[in-house]
Amino acid sequence: MGGAVRGRLGSHPVITVDGLRKDFGRLTAVHDLSFEVGDGEIFGLLGPNGAGKTTTIRMLAGLIAPTDGSATVNGHSLGEGSQRIRAMTGVLTESPGLHEKLTARQNLAFYGRLYGLTGATLREAVDRYLGVVGMLEHGDRRVGGFSKGMRQKIAIARALLHEPEVIYLDEPTSGLDPSAAKTVRDFVATLRELGRSIVVCTHNLDEAERLCDRIGIMRGTLLRVDTPAGLRRHGRNATVRIDLNGARPPESFIETVAGLAYVHGAQPRGRALVVELTDPARETPDLVAALVGAGARITSVREEADTLEEVYLELVGEAGVRDDRDLPGEEAA
Amino acid sequence: MRLPFAWAVFVKEWRDLLSNRLLLGAVALPALIFAAIPTGLVAFIQANDLDPNQLDQIQQYIAAFPGVAAKTAAQAFIIQNFMAYFLLIPAMVPMAIATQSVIGEKVARSLEPQLATPLEVPELLAGKTLAAALPAMIATWLVFVAYGLVNGAIADPRLTRFVFTDVWITAMATLIPLICVFSVLLGIVVSSRVNDPRTAQQIGGFVVIPIIAVAVAQFFGGQPTFTMEQVITGDLLVAGLIGVTMVIGSWAFDRESILTRMA
Repeated sequence: MGGAVRGRLGSHPVITVDGLRKDFGRLTAVHDLSFEVGDGEIFGLLGPNGAGKTTTIRMLAGLIAPTDGSATVNGHSLGEGSQRIRAMTGVLTESPGLHEKLTARQNLAFYGRLYGLTGATLREAVDRYLGVVGMLEHGDRRVGGFSKGMRQKIAIARALLHEPEVIYLDEPTSGLDPSAAKTVRDFVATLRELGRSIVVCTHNLDEAERLCDRIGIMRGTLLRVDTPAGLRRHGRNATVRIDLNGARPPESFIETVAGLAYVHGAQPRGRALVVELTDPARETPDLVAALVGAGARITSVREEADTLEEVYLELVGEAGVRDDRDLPGEEAA
Repeated sequence: MRLPFAWAVFVKEWRDLLSNRLLLGAVALPALIFAAIPTGLVAFIQANDLDPNQLDQIQQYIAAFPGVAAKTAAQAFIIQNFMAYFLLIPAMVPMAIATQSVIGEKVARSLEPQLATPLEVPELLAGKTLAAALPAMIATWLVFVAYGLVNGAIADPRLTRFVFTDVWITAMATLIPLICVFSVLLGIVVSSRVNDPRTAQQIGGFVVIPIIAVAVAQFFGGQPTFTMEQVITGDLLVAGLIGVTMVIGSWAFDRESILTRMA
């Protein structure tokens, strides 16, 4: 698989996926899936309903076996290492799936035991994570009386209780009000600072852009992997638009700009000059200085890029017309 | 099998059950009804004299109890004959609890988080089986003891002896737990394939048919209750059925099937 699809990885890989495939009978849910997730990275899987996101997470969490291909999580292979993978990963499932008749504390204590915590360690972990998600005062209330946001917080606490090294979050803010969704997003960002590797599964473009270091756009397979900024550029050079005050025509600066080593192209557009760069954050200040030195009067500078939504729709559309269908066990939304 | 994991599931299930009053009622009510009907008949006979003509009609039944008065023999026949229905409690109640447990969790989508832990499916099933079987076993044993003591108290004290026989003590110790386990396993297997508790219970309901058939056959055959050979045969038969159901269960209740057949 090419680098454009795989994307560049900024740190030591914790998750390595190579040619993963999952069939449910005659239906292929996921195929030719390859990517890596680095240490302390938030990696987003973005795709429409039925794109195979949940199936991918279930395979990587050791819940279901791949039909073909391989993957390792912290050095443990899917298959023979699945139980170890389950012990070192935390999963926020698409639906909170809490036990309604039990209190929040009893719910967490149950899962803590399933992760091998006992005695004082278990009690401390339950209290700690009830506090982390701001639910300590509701710990002895039955979950059946909780709002959706409160349930999601308990489900997040459940996924973190055993201090997992890898965390899978399936639609973490689905159905939450904006305030609760922000709380969850802030919390996920905090987890990155703690060095956890996180895979977020979502069809919320804004959420993916805000949260993720890299995003994989998926529809059965990965169509492209890159940083949010890289995706917006969609594999093209970055474009910077420099608005001039009109004292001199933009054509008069083309020669100045074309002489700069990092400029890939330049053209006038009305009273503005549009310049193609590789890395706008690094190159724009130097470009502006060169133009000012050549006598340009600049009124504004901004990077031009597609929105993530435009890129997403273009890529998903390119993937071909596949009927939207719900894969086994995947939630229709 | 790691016992602490199965135990954690058992404790969770038990807490769930104790907070579900409707299900607790479903555990206690059948046991009380099966005990109350014959006890009521014994009390009625105790309070009324038997007509000599009626005695002729039930001669074949009271002949099984030589050495006691006809009235006591009639009461003994009734209390022993109805004891077959005690087998219905472990056949019906654990299945209701198991189907409710599995399908309830499928609907609430709470199985996936459990399966995402290091918990293995046999540990999950062991915890669920114990939690679903134990209430029925305890209910049956308590009602069995109360049945013997109450009937001895309201009529002839020798009636207690006709309840606490070697055959029935053996049946309580072996056949009742085996039927409980079989009923739970059957409930789990059926529940893994359907998403509606009532459908699961209807499909699993056929297990009560042979028990009712045995009780009815005993009555019309004039045999008051089981023999030791019949109890041991029953033990072996149910143990075999448990083995078959476990094989089917391990195929039907694998991690992937549960997740991809969710409600």
